Amino acid sequence: MTDVLAKLSSRAIAGGLGVLLLIACSSGGGTNNQTASSTDVTVWTAWGGNELAAFQKVLKPFHDQTGITVHLTTVRDANQLSINVDAGTSLPDIAPGPTVDKVKDWATKGTMKPVETALGSSFNDYITNTYPALTTVPSGGGDNLYIGIVGGKHYELMVKTQVKGLFWYNKKVFTGTAPKTFDELLAINPSQYGADKLFCVGLESGGASGWPASDQIDNIIMRQSGDKVYTDWIQGKVKFSSPQIKLGYQTYLKEVSAQNVYGGPNTVLSTAFQRAGKPLFAAKPGCLFLEQATFIPSFFLEDYPNLKAGVDFDFFGHPSVASQYDGNVNGFYDQFAMYNDTPAARKLMQYMATSPAQQIWADAGGTLTAIKTIKYNDPVFNRAAEVANSAKNLLVTAGDFMPSDMQAAFWKSLLNVTKNPSSLDSELAKLDQVQAAAYKTS
Amino acid sequence: MDQVITAVVAVIGVPLVLLGYIVLGERVIERLPDTIQTWIRPYFWALPAIGFATIFMVYPLLRTVFLSFRNNADTDWVGFNNYVYFFTFPDTLTSLRNSLLWLIFYTFFAVGLGLIIAILLDRVRYEQVAKIAIFLPVPISAVAASIIWKFMFDYQPPGSVQTGTLNAAIGAFGGQPVAWLVNSTTNNPALIFVGIWSITGFCMVIISASLKSISTEVLEAARIDGANEFRIVQLIVTPLLWPTITVVGTTMIINALKTFDIVYVLTSGAYDTDVIATNMFRQLATSHYARAAAVGVVLFLAIVPLLVVNIRRFQQQEETR
Repeated sequence: MTDVLAKLSSRAIAGGLGVLLLIACSSGGGTNNQTASSTDVTVWTAWGGNELAAFQKVLKPFHDQTGITVHLTTVRDANQLSINVDAGTSLPDIAPGPTVDKVKDWATKGTMKPVETALGSSFNDYITNTYPALTTVPSGGGDNLYIGIVGGKHYELMVKTQVKGLFWYNKKVFTGTAPKTFDELLAINPSQYGADKLFCVGLESGGASGWPASDQIDNIIMRQSGDKVYTDWIQGKVKFSSPQIKLGYQTYLKEVSAQNVYGGPNTVLSTAFQRAGKPLFAAKPGCLFLEQATFIPSFFLEDYPNLKAGVDFDFFGHPSVASQYDGNVNGFYDQFAMYNDTPAARKLMQYMATSPAQQIWADAGGTLTAIKTIKYNDPVFNRAAEVANSAKNLLVTAGDFMPSDMQAAFWKSLLNVTKNPSSLDSELAKLDQVQAAAYKTS
Repeated sequence: MDQVITAVVAVIGVPLVLLGYIVLGERVIERLPDTIQTWIRPYFWALPAIGFATIFMVYPLLRTVFLSFRNNADTDWVGFNNYVYFFTFPDTLTSLRNSLLWLIFYTFFAVGLGLIIAILLDRVRYEQVAKIAIFLPVPISAVAASIIWKFMFDYQPPGSVQTGTLNAAIGAFGGQPVAWLVNSTTNNPALIFVGIWSITGFCMVIISASLKSISTEVLEAARIDGANEFRIVQLIVTPLLWPTITVVGTTMIINALKTFDIVYVLTSGAYDTDVIATNMFRQLATSHYARAAAVGVVLFLAIVPLLVVNIRRFQQQEETR
């Protein structure tokens, strides 16, 4: 071995090392050119898989028609953009808006350019075409940071949306009319339709267990105590032990009580959310309803491949809890903001707001678009579009906008009270303790 | 393209740099006086290994200790705040209790069963087959083993077909299904059982190897003296195996304290099954780096004495050879 080593000339080795060092250094830094381009536009997205493929389909006609090249990068780390903003390094021309806490700052600093600027003369069409809950503050004025409205200007261009809190049922079993209020829903007698219990619930989801319950309680609280309490609660300004949130938990517990839920709490906690709807379609139906978002039919079809949407199963929107808060709907949305005002970026923003572009998203499936009049191949989404259109205020899912340890504790508490409802007060006290620590910025 | 170049630099470059270090260094050392050569050469050859250990083990360790006294953004000192959090928060106290349960029951049963099985199998003709059967769970990855047991523990409502093996068995005898992983009296024992199931074979193999080295003459002599088999195990075999049992035992204690995968896959720490490691992971996943560092330091401090015991044992064994 030493012989071999000795034979290698030291000069050759030193030279080789030098070359390697050069390569290592040159591969380190990327290059970024920052010019107001009318031929190129850089876009960041967090999408991957089918969502990314759908977006690429959307972008193809844009390139064909305008000749503008879109440089699309999937950036999974949601913090990357704010790291670049803080460091003052280059930003993509177009990327999703930041987390809610940064919207106001970025809008006032001019980091994000208004949608009004990007769309120009087509802005009014955008407002007319898009679901009102995505573009208007319900109270008629003020900021709504969740949908990117600051000082009367829009900073987030809405392209896709989803609605949650839908009650799915087997059309062959539940033949009654959809209940108008939550009390009417609870008063339905499942045995009248040959079903065992009113609800099916499945909360098991690995490390995220409990999230389906958080959707259920969110949908209750926003309709029971209103959007003000709901958003204040998300922001840590309303305690978990406050009467409104406690009432929400108590109402949720009616949905998973041994009397109302298929199999009782043990089944609720042991059942994966994907399989929760199975008893809807059993020969002797285990339950009448499953509360879940628009994605759930794909799991129905895994268990029963012959089911047809709209024929075998359907859904109704969440019934009213307190009538003054009707129009509060739980959902989420995908949006883009413009960070560099270039001719190419403006063109792409304008294009994404058009019906032909959004129709491509609709045809790719799995989502609602932001435009009211788009038609879907899947009847489920045509019905979901009605729910989205009825919304005055599309409210985000609470846990997703809480600090992550608050979210984890919130989910866990829902599992614990489902298992043992008498622990409600002690669980809420624990949540207050987490809340007090979680919202401090350190 | 950048990634390709980086990969090439890493895969070819690093070994090449090391090779260069040795060749060029040897050239220099050769020209030194003989006495200095013999003195400096071992240090010169050991330096890269020590360097890597420092960069990848010692530095992160010191950094973790440092971070555990800082705030989350690493901008200010917070004293013992992160530790106070760890020792006063209800959820973390549960995880401490559970790690203690793991430490006691997992270690006791894994080592105990390993010892008993090794001794019993030593006396039967089908020893090899039985050993293989008991060793089989060891090479299975803990994640896969946990998924197997997830199916075993599966729960369906009373009255419907039980898809979980255990509940199907209970149902066959007319019992009510048990929600093994949800019920707080059964979930921790169930998780610890999976741990024991997957490691007993390992303990058995190590103890069995040590057992084979006990001279048959000693045992024969004891038998001639009229000792029965229980006395032989109690007074001869166990004392002679003791060094091995301590090494296996301390390794199992370290395993128990590090337990993560089984808990993470089967319950994710829900229903009061959290252990220290899953707690640390949750702190990391929720961006509480300073708290996670504090948990890591606590875990490390708990393991250090065991490591010391283990290394001492190894050294003693080396010396007796």
